[in-house]
Amino acid sequence: MSEPERADVGGGSDNAFWAGFALPGVAWLCLFFLLPFYVILCIALGTVDPIFQTPAPEWNPLRWNTSAFEFVLESLFTSGAAFQTVFVRTFVYVTIATALSLVIAYPVAYYVARYGGRWKGVLLVGLIAPFFISYLMRMLAWINLLQDDGWVNDVLIWAGILNAPRNWLDGRASSVILGLVYGYVPFMILPLYAFLDRIDRSLLEAARDLGASPFQAFRRVTLPLSMPAILAGIVIIALPMFGDYYTPDLLSGSPQTSMIGNQINLYIRGGQQIPVGAALVVVLMLFLTVLMGYYLVSTARAQRRLGR
Amino acid sequence: MATFHPRESRYPRREFLQRGAAGAFAFSSMGTLLAACGGGDNGEFRPPELQLARPDNPVTHPLFDDNPMIASGLDPEGGTLRIYNWNGYLWPRIKKDFAKEYGVKVEETFFSTVDEAIAKISSGAVDFDVFFPTVDRVSRLVVGKTLQPLNRDYLSSLGNVWPSLQDPWYDKGSQYTVPYVTWTTGIGYRTDKVSTTPESLANPYEIYWDQANKGRLFLLDDSRDAIGHMLLKNGISDINTENPDEIELAKGELKSLIGAVNVKLSTDDYTNLPEGKAWVHQMWSGSAVSAQYYLPEGVGADALGFWFPPDGGGTIGSDLMAVPKSAKNPVLAHHFLNYLLDEKHGYDNFVNYVGYQPPFTKLDPDRLVADGVVPANLKTAVVRQSDFDTGYVQTELTPSGQTLWQNAWAEFKAGV
Repeated sequence: MSEPERADVGGGSDNAFWAGFALPGVAWLCLFFLLPFYVILCIALGTVDPIFQTPAPEWNPLRWNTSAFEFVLESLFTSGAAFQTVFVRTFVYVTIATALSLVIAYPVAYYVARYGGRWKGVLLVGLIAPFFISYLMRMLAWINLLQDDGWVNDVLIWAGILNAPRNWLDGRASSVILGLVYGYVPFMILPLYAFLDRIDRSLLEAARDLGASPFQAFRRVTLPLSMPAILAGIVIIALPMFGDYYTPDLLSGSPQTSMIGNQINLYIRGGQQIPVGAALVVVLMLFLTVLMGYYLVSTARAQRRLGR
Repeated sequence: MATFHPRESRYPRREFLQRGAAGAFAFSSMGTLLAACGGGDNGEFRPPELQLARPDNPVTHPLFDDNPMIASGLDPEGGTLRIYNWNGYLWPRIKKDFAKEYGVKVEETFFSTVDEAIAKISSGAVDFDVFFPTVDRVSRLVVGKTLQPLNRDYLSSLGNVWPSLQDPWYDKGSQYTVPYVTWTTGIGYRTDKVSTTPESLANPYEIYWDQANKGRLFLLDDSRDAIGHMLLKNGISDINTENPDEIELAKGELKSLIGAVNVKLSTDDYTNLPEGKAWVHQMWSGSAVSAQYYLPEGVGADALGFWFPPDGGGTIGSDLMAVPKSAKNPVLAHHFLNYLLDEKHGYDNFVNYVGYQPPFTKLDPDRLVADGVVPANLKTAVVRQSDFDTGYVQTELTPSGQTLWQNAWAEFKAGV
C-alpha cells in the first residue's frame, strides 16, 4: 500500500465508508452468533411445552427460571458428581490431545516452511488432503485400522511388539485421544506453517552471526516469534475438541471415556430436560470464553513484544 | 463397517423411544396447565387430559369436533403422497409399487429424532400425509390435535393384524393409529466366542457381568432398554417404575458393569455382534434377524444366538403408523396405511429391508424359519402374539419419572 492511500484511509468522511466494511461482519455476528446465543440462553432459562415436550424458550429475562443452571452448577461443583467428572475428563483429554498435536504439528510445519523448497506446494496439498474427507469418515476409518484384524494390530504383531491382537476399541482413553489428535492436527499445522513461513531468515542469520548455536537461534528467535501461531493453533483445535462427542462414541463407547459433549447430546436430544442441555452449552461457552480471553491477552502481549 | 446400511439410523428412532417413552402424561398438574391455556371458557370448556396409557389402564382417546375423520367412499387424491419417517424404515420398492398402482408420486422425508418430527409437525410448517409415531407419544399427539382420526372403512387389511393390536391399550379401537412393526429386547451373543450362554445361567441377565467377555460386552445406548434389563435382572418386572429406590438399584447395577467388564454402549447391535466387536450384546430382535447378513465370510449364522425369556417375560414393543391432521392427501394416506397392512406388502417390507416384523397373524416363527428369513437358531428373535400378553412394554413416564430415569442414565454415562 502506498503512502497516499494510507493518508486517505485516515481521512475524515472516508472513515465512515471504510467502517462500513465491518457491517457484513457485524451483521453476521449478530444474526448467527448473538441471536442464537440468546435463544440458547432463553431455552436454558425456559421450560418445555407440556404437550409436545419441545423447548419453550423464556424470552422475558424477568421470568427466567434458573433451575436448569442450578442443577448444572451443583453437579459441576460437587466432587464426584456426573458433570464434574465428565468436565475434568474432557479437560484432561483436550489438554493431552492439544499438547500431542503441537508436538506433531510443529516439526512438520517447521520442516515444510524451512526446507520444503520447491516441494512446498505439494507438501501443503498433502497436509490439507485430509480435509477433503469428512471428520466422521476419518474416524470410521480408524475403527477399521484399530479392530482386531486391523492394520494396527497386524503391524504391531509383525514388528514383534505384540504377541496377539489387542482390543484397541475396548473403551480406552488412549484410543479416544489418538482420534482427537488425528482429527484435529491439520488445523494446527496450517497456522503454524503460515507463520513460520513468514519469519524473516535474516533474523536467524543475525542470531548465528552473533554466536548463537542453531538450537539457541531456534529457542531464542524462532520459537518466541512463533508464539502467536502456537496460541492460535491451540485455540483453533481446543475449542472444537471441547464440544466433540462422536470421537469417544465411535472409538470407545465406554462411559469411562465420555466427554462433556456426550452429556450435552444426551440432554438436548429430547425429553423433559432440554434446558439442562442448553445450560451445559452456556456454561461450556463461558469456560471457553475465558480461554479465548487468555488467548487474546497473550497474543496482544506477544505482538507488543515483537513490535519492540 | 456397514456404515451405510439404512438401518443404522435406527438409533434416533430408539432414542426417541427412550425419551418419548419417557414421554409423559396425565397428571393432574397437566390438566391444570392445559386449563390455564384453555382460558376464556368460563369453566365450561374442560381441556382433555393426557392419559397415562398402560396395558392395565387402556386408553380410549377423545375425538374432537374440529378434527373430524375423512368421509367414507372418497376417491384417493392424485399428486404426491408425502411420508415422514425414520431413515431406513421403509423398503423403497414399496413406495415405487404404490406410486405405480395409484398413479401418484411418493416422497419420503426423514427425521432423526421424534422430538424433531413432533416439533415440525406441531408447528404446522410441514404437511405430511403419513407419519410413523411410537406408542409412547400417541396421547400427546392426539391431545395436541396433531393426528387425525382414522376412518376404518379404508383399512380393511387391519384384520391381518393380531387381534390384541387391532384394539390396543394405548389406542383403544385403533382410532388414531395402526400398528407397523413389533420388536423385543433380548440378549444377542456369539456362540463361537462366549464360554457361558445366557440360557445356561439361572439368571440369564447375569451374562452381562461375565468377566470372560471383558471389553466385548455392549448394552444398547438407550436408557429405557438398558435400565429395563437391570430391573428385570433384579426381578422387578415393572420396567416403567418411578420408584427412586428401584432406579437407584438399576443405576448401581449399570455402574458395576463399568468396573467388571468395561461395558460399552452402542445401537449398532446388528453389526457389532456379527463383526466380533461384541461377544455379548443387548439386542433388539430385528437386529438379531439382520445380523446374519453382516457376518464375516466363513462364519455361519449358527455363530449367532439370541436369548429372550422363553416364558415371554421380557421387554417388548411396537411402532405405529398414523395420518397427521394437516395431511393434504388424507384419503391416499389411508390407502397407503392399508397397503402396508396388506400381508404381502408388509411381509416383503420386513424381509427385504426393514428387518422388524409386522404383527401379522399368519407370520409365526415356524413359517419364518421355513421361509429362510430367520435361521433356526434365532427363532427366539421372532415376536409372537402371546409375547404381548406376557411381555413388558415401555410406556410413558410422568415428567418427574422421566427426569429420574434420564438423570440416572446421564450419571451412568458420565462414567462416575
